[in-house]
Formats: sequence, structure tokens, C-alpha cells
Amino acid sequence: MKSWILACWFVAFAVTPTRGGAPVATIQSMLAKPKILCGHFDQSKQLIGLKKPIVSNGRFCVVSEKGVLWRTVRPFPNTIRLTRDEIVQLQGDRVTMRLDAKQEPAVRMINSVLFALLAGNLEPIENLFEVDGKINDNNWSVTLKAREPAVAKVIAGVALDGDTYVKNITLNEASGDRTRIMFSKIETGDAAMSVDEAALF
Amino acid sequence: MVVWVWGLVVCSILTHNCYLWLGKRITPDTDILALLPVQERDSVVQRAFTNMVDSAQQRLIVLVGADDWVQARRAADIYQAVLRSRADALQLDHRMVKQDHQEWLAPFQQYRLTLLTRQEELALRNQSTQYWIDTALSKLYGPLVGLKLGAWRDDPFGLYGQWIQARAQETPVRPRDGRLFVGQGQRQYVVLPFVLQVPAFSMAAQQTLIPLIEQAKQAVYKAVPHAEVVAAGVILYAAAAGEQASREVSIIGFGSILGIIVLMWFTFHSLKSIALMMLSVGIGCLGALSVCWLLFERLHLLTLVFGASLIGGAQDYGTYFLCNRLAADAQPFDSWQLLKRLLPALLLTLVTTVIGYMALALTPFPGLRQMAVFSALGLIFAWLTVVFWFPALIISGTLKQPRLVAGYSKSLERWPSLRFQQSTFWLVGLFIGLMAIGLLRLGIQDDIRLLQNPPKSLIDDQIKLSKLLDAPTPTQFYVVRGTTAEVVLQHEEALRERLDPLIEKHVITGYQAVSNWVPSLRTQSTRRNLIEQTLLNEDGPLTAVAQQIGENRKWVAAMRSYLLASALPFTVGDFLNAPGSEPWRHLWLGQVDSGYASIIALRGLGHAGLPLMKDAAAGLNGVQWVDKVDEISTVLGRYRKYMGWVIVFSYFAVYALLYPRYQTATWRVLAPTALASVATLGLLGIVGQNLQLFHVLALMLLLGVGVDYGIFFQEGPSRRDAIAWLAVGLSALSTLLSFGLLSLSKTPALQAFGLTMLIGTMTVWLIVPCFRNDRAS
Repeated sequence: MKSWILACWFVAFAVTPTRGGAPVATIQSMLAKPKILCGHFDQSKQLIGLKKPIVSNGRFCVVSEKGVLWRTVRPFPNTIRLTRDEIVQLQGDRVTMRLDAKQEPAVRMINSVLFALLAGNLEPIENLFEVDGKINDNNWSVTLKAREPAVAKVIAGVALDGDTYVKNITLNEASGDRTRIMFSKIETGDAAMSVDEAALF
Repeated sequence: MVVWVWGLVVCSILTHNCYLWLGKRITPDTDILALLPVQERDSVVQRAFTNMVDSAQQRLIVLVGADDWVQARRAADIYQAVLRSRADALQLDHRMVKQDHQEWLAPFQQYRLTLLTRQEELALRNQSTQYWIDTALSKLYGPLVGLKLGAWRDDPFGLYGQWIQARAQETPVRPRDGRLFVGQGQRQYVVLPFVLQVPAFSMAAQQTLIPLIEQAKQAVYKAVPHAEVVAAGVILYAAAAGEQASREVSIIGFGSILGIIVLMWFTFHSLKSIALMMLSVGIGCLGALSVCWLLFERLHLLTLVFGASLIGGAQDYGTYFLCNRLAADAQPFDSWQLLKRLLPALLLTLVTTVIGYMALALTPFPGLRQMAVFSALGLIFAWLTVVFWFPALIISGTLKQPRLVAGYSKSLERWPSLRFQQSTFWLVGLFIGLMAIGLLRLGIQDDIRLLQNPPKSLIDDQIKLSKLLDAPTPTQFYVVRGTTAEVVLQHEEALRERLDPLIEKHVITGYQAVSNWVPSLRTQSTRRNLIEQTLLNEDGPLTAVAQQIGENRKWVAAMRSYLLASALPFTVGDFLNAPGSEPWRHLWLGQVDSGYASIIALRGLGHAGLPLMKDAAAGLNGVQWVDKVDEISTVLGRYRKYMGWVIVFSYFAVYALLYPRYQTATWRVLAPTALASVATLGLLGIVGQNLQLFHVLALMLLLGVGVDYGIFFQEGPSRRDAIAWLAVGLSALSTLLSFGLLSLSKTPALQAFGLTMLIGTMTVWLIVPCFRNDRAS
């Protein structure tokens, strides 16, 4: 996890954004922007040197202006909370890692990008990536290509697709490792978040 | 004949000066370090210090901060825009801003297995198998995206990632939006590392850049009102020191010249006497400059400040001659005959003063040595001008004595003379009592800050910047030695064992060392074995992970050999060749006379931590603690004592030198100066000053100057006492003018020097008539 944060730290470059073209604006308008959004995720990693994919699943919540809660349930319980100022990893109640945005400004960048990805808000993403979008009736798909060569050396590409919500995210790393996340059972509104999830924020 | 020979010498001095100033366009040095003592004995430590300083010398680091990042960026843009107009002299270090970290880290990949932090190495020794299984699995199933450095299989236990992060934490500076960033609380700073394209110590560079830097700062304050600009760099210090010295040269130079002109006018009422004085002083200064340049091939600005006070000393000889000429007008002497009569006294005064200056030249301070040589040469040239030219230029009847001078001369008749009587004993008792009080109160002070006194704002900025950037101190560090590079690394590792606990105790925030990057080969092989046994063994964590993810024994064997292949032997040479090692290369001193050596630099070291750091080196093989500040203070202290003894012996030497001529009256020549020296020390104690080397050096010089007055009074029959009195008065007044003005200097050392001369000369002047020879009157 730490090295992952670090990779993002190395990637924390941005250039002046060129404002989104027509498809991006349309996709933006297709997406629902609820205050609270929770759901189930299935993650599958295809790693270099491993025959079988590494699969895990759990629940996630995106709360606007607050952050993201990411709870892996199977095979190993683990919780990550991303807020504006920090990234915290919890195992049960125990904090196993904390990264402060004051020390690592990249934390803020990572959080805003992840938040934007999960919420389908493409605007902040455009600072880092070239966005190429396609629309097919109610469905849309987008591919992201890093603008900075330094970022491209880590992230080969990102693909997203969905309708009113983001349905799939695929990340291709330059190293050859791939991660695919599928979202399902999406709920919105105050009731979407369970009591113990709300307590974690 | 001698007139013409001297004319030839003067002509060549003038030509040489014209060549230096107009042809070669020389400018004085402003390098503060020129004043610091040359490292005695140890060339390796000297090289280490040069390395530490040189790596910073051509840099100007500026932090532009505001309460939010957007404002800070805007302010930084404005700052940079102003400086861009002189990109030929000052440039942003783009390599630092636009580092490609992936490329930068790539060379370490092939050695990554044995690159471990101390914490991870301890964990490898102490943690259970289950801990490592959990670590690998949590990385594997880890949440969100799998972004990391390289593929998962390159670093399945996350050890290399931890090491990279520890290296990244050697600085709090982070790339952010294509700039360098550092933060503190709410403040957000853009870091602008500039590199000077011109030498920091060149006055021309300073004159171009300092106003521009100030202008950039003002532009920022105007556009972004709450912005903050913090700047630090050798050039700022050099410029401040240079500007101060230039100002002082003009004040002291013009002040004393003006004073002498006024004095001459009141004494001799003749323009010719003023022109003669200017001639001897001028030739003295120019001659000193010429020869000094030939000897040192450079000239420090502080030499000129000190040299400006020479004007006061150099005119003594001319004054003495003119006073005697004035008195001799009643008699039929011609000027050459007069000179013949005055020559022994003139020679003695020159020799005693030059002895004083030569004592200064004995110190190990290059700056001081130059000042002493400059002054001694100046005196010799002025003296020769008086001896060779004055008799030819001035004949009897030229000078007339104004009434003011007659009045002063008369005052001598009422001046008390030392006799065996009751009041004398009372006075002596009072004097001894006061001096005892003063001397007992006299503290000592050997601080390095005596040598330089930069403006407080510069120091504040420097402290703030060092704190924000967590930069290492350039003056305190360890030098580590060994017979081979490998041994140096092993010695570094032994020292680090002691430094790591000090980081945990917050004595320091960290250290920079080559062994942070390159473990010794011995450590590399230990770690390789450790990892092989703990993580990659038959029934170890790797096998357990394989079972969890459904891989077989073959996979475990393949992983094992894949990982072990990333433990190639890593040497210092490999590291130094990697582009990423650029910021650390100055730490490696490489081959030195006795083997190899390196530096370990400390970050976040406070004053309180110094003894602990010194202790940490105790008993370790090949490790030496270097504290330049402490060392200079020690040298200053040692020379304060040493020069004290030199003064005592000088009194004996001067006594021996004078004895053939003055016999039993010799004590009368020396006593006023000796008493004045004691009185000066006592007075310094009473006003609460601390004794430092420069007070002592001034007392040395006072011996040279004060003995002159004694000699003047012992020369010839007593009716010429009035002439001596006049010559002493003129000399003392001009010395007071020049050294008195030196006591206005902002450099504590020069100020102390000036103050001592001021009090001392004044006292000698006032008491020297008391020791005149009663027997003759």
C-alpha cells in the first residue's frame, strides 16, 4: 500500500488542462451525482508471473465533500478511508497506516482523482489524463492516457465505462500488471450507507 | 642620487597600479571564508569542508509562500518573471524541478533485494512467518488499484518500496503540479532552486543580482500582499559583507585623510606640508597594494578596511620629520643634516611598529596575515618616502608655527612628571585597585561570529529555510575513513547504528550518507542470506503465499531465483554513475592519501545536540566528528592566549632593541605603552566587554605605536621635548582618527581592534610626558 501511494507521489505531476471536448461534457451530464453512493465491488488483478487472477470483493461508499470508504470483505477484511487531508488504512479498529496530505501533497491529488473516478467526475481527471470518450445510447466508455511521460511510465492506460453510474474500471500498469474493478448493487441516498460505515467517517 | 632611485621605484609602483586597476580591472575579494583559519594538519577534513561548502556556494534557494497553493504559485511566477531578465546570471535548476523519478530509480532495480530500511531489517530478524505472509497477501489483495513501483512480483513483501520511501523522506520537498513544494502548517511554499551562472564572490555578479533579487521580492509583495519570500545563498552573505566593507573603507579612508589635512593645516599652516603628508601616505598605500598583489595574487576587501586605518600610522614619520624641521628652523641645519640626526629614532619607530604587524602575520588566519603584510609594507613605503624625499622637498624656513600649536606645546610645562612623592603612591594605588577590578571582570569570547556579522534578516531567513527544507548543516558532520571503499561503508554502518537511536530521540531528524544508498558488500551478503532464510526458504512465507493463490512448488522456485537475481553486488562506483546520485555525490570524498573517505551529514541538528553527536563518534574506528564552528572558536581562543605570550616576549625584545641607545632610560620608553595596555584591558573589563583575540592583536600593535611616542620623548635634549610633544600629539590624533573610526566597524573583530587602539593610544598620549627624563631637565 505504501509503495502504491509512493508511486502516485512520483506521478504527482500535472499540466494545464485543456477543457473537455463534447463527449466528456455529454458523459458528465449522463451521470447521476448523488450525495451518497454505496455499492458492491469485485476486484480482479491479473499479475505478471501469476497464472490465476487475484480476486477480492467488498463494499464501497462515496460521499461528496467527504471522501471514499473502501472495505474489502473477502478474502481478507481491510478498510481504507480517503478524505481530503489523509489516507488511513484500518484493520478492524486498528490504524495500520496513515498518510497526511500536509506531508505528502500527493495524497490530495490521489484522493481527488480516485474520488473523481468513482463518481465519474471527469473534470479533475483531465488535468492528468487525455480523455477519449464514446457514447452508445445510454452507455458510455472512456479511455484515459497519461499526459506526462513520467506518469505514462507507471500507468499505461485506464478504461471506464458505465451509464448513470460507473460500472467498470480497468487499469493497465506499465509493468504489465492489470486490475479490473466491477461495481454492482449501487444505492444512493442517506439509507445507502450502513450505520457502522457512517461511523467510520 | 637616492632621490632619483626612489623616484624610479615610485614610478614603477604607479605604473603597476595603473595596470592593476585600469588594465586588469581587479576587484577585491569578498569571500568570508578567506578570514577563516586554514585547516591545520588534516587535508581530508579540509577537503570534506570544501566539498560541503562548494556544493552550496553557487546556489540560491528561494521559498515563495502563501496561505494557499494557488496564491503561492502565482507569487512564485511573479518572482521568477523578474529574475528571468538575467537568465545569463541566474537560472532555475530545471533538473531538480523536472526530475523523472522512474528513470532516476531504474538503476537501483537490479540491486533492490538488499536495499532495506533499518526497520525492515529488524522485522526480518524478529517477526514471525505469519507476519510476512500477511504482509504479502495484503499487498496482493490490496484495495483499489494495484499501482506500485514495477510489478507485484518485483517486490512481493514491499521491502524495496519501504526503502524508496525512506529515501524520498530524506527531503520534505515534493513535486506538485510541475513545481517543487514544501509545506508548514497552513503555509504552502514553492521551492525555487536557482543556480548562479557567475561566481558568487564576484562583486560584479553581486551588483547585478542583489538589486534584482530585491526587486523580485518587492514585486511579489506588491502583487500578493500576504506572500512570504525566504531566500538563502552564499551570494547574499557575500554581498552583505562586501557592501559593509566598502562602506567602511570609505568612511575610515576619507575620515582619516580629512582629519590629517585639518591637523596639518592647524599645525603648519602650509599647503606644502599637507601635500607632503599625502604624498608619503599615498605612496605607502599604493606600494603596499602593488606588493601585496604580487605576493597573494588577490586582495581581500577587509584588508582594505584595515589598510584604511594605516593612513593614521603611515603619517607618523612625516609628522616627526616636519615637527623637527619646524623646530630646527632656528638653527643652521640643512634638511639632510637634520635627517641624519633623526634617522636612528625614525628607524627604531619603524622597526618596533613593523614588529607589531609581523606578530599579526604569525596567526593562521589568511585574512589577518594579508592585513598585516599590507600594513607593514605601507609603513615601509611611507617611511622610505620620508627618508628619501622629504629632505629634498622641504628646506628651512618653509614652515611657520601658528599660535594654536605654541599653546599646545606650552601645556607640556604644566604636565605632571613622575616623581617619588606621596601623591604618586596614592595614584599608583588607585590605578592598581581599579585595574584589579577591571581585570577580574574581564570575560573571554572566542566565538566565530567575531569574524563575520551578517544582517539579522539574512540569518533569520537562513534558519527558517533550513528548518523548512530540513537541510543538513554544512559546518558539522562526520568524516569516515577506511583503507578501501568497502571499509568506509562498514565504518559508516557502525556509526549509523549509533545515529539511528538519536533520530528516535529527536536529537536529529536524519542523516545523509552514501551507505543509505549503498550498503557495504558485507551487509549486502548478510541481508541476502537473511531474506533467503526468512522469506524464500522451503516452508517459508513465499510457499504459504503460493498455496493461497494456487501456485505450485515450481512457481516458488522460479520466484525465488527471480528475486535472488535482483541482488547483484552494488558498489559505490555503480551508485556514483547513476544519474540519481547527483545530490549525494559530494558526500563521497573517494580516494584520499591514506585510503578512502566519506562524509555523513546531519539534518535538523540543534545546538543542544552537539555533545551527543561528538560522543557518538567516540571509540569508533575511522570516524571523526568535525565541528568547524567549534574548531574556529578553539583556534581563536588558542591564538588569543598564544598572542598574549607573544606580546609579553615582544616587550622584552623591544627592550633589548632599545637598550643600546637609551640604556637605563629604556624603561621610560616602554612603561607608558605597558601601562596603557593594562589600563585598556582594565577599562574593557569595567565596561563589561569580553576579551577576544582581536583585543590582544591590537595590544600588539599598540606596542609598536606607543613605543614611537616614548622614543620621540627620549630623543635629544629636553628643550626639544616640546617638539616630541607636538609630534606625539599629531601622531596620536591621527591614530585616534583612523582607529577610532575603525571602532565604528560593524565587524566585531575590527570594532574590538579599533576600540583597543582608541583607548590605548589615548592613554599613551596622556601619560607619556609623565615619563620624560627629569635628569635632563
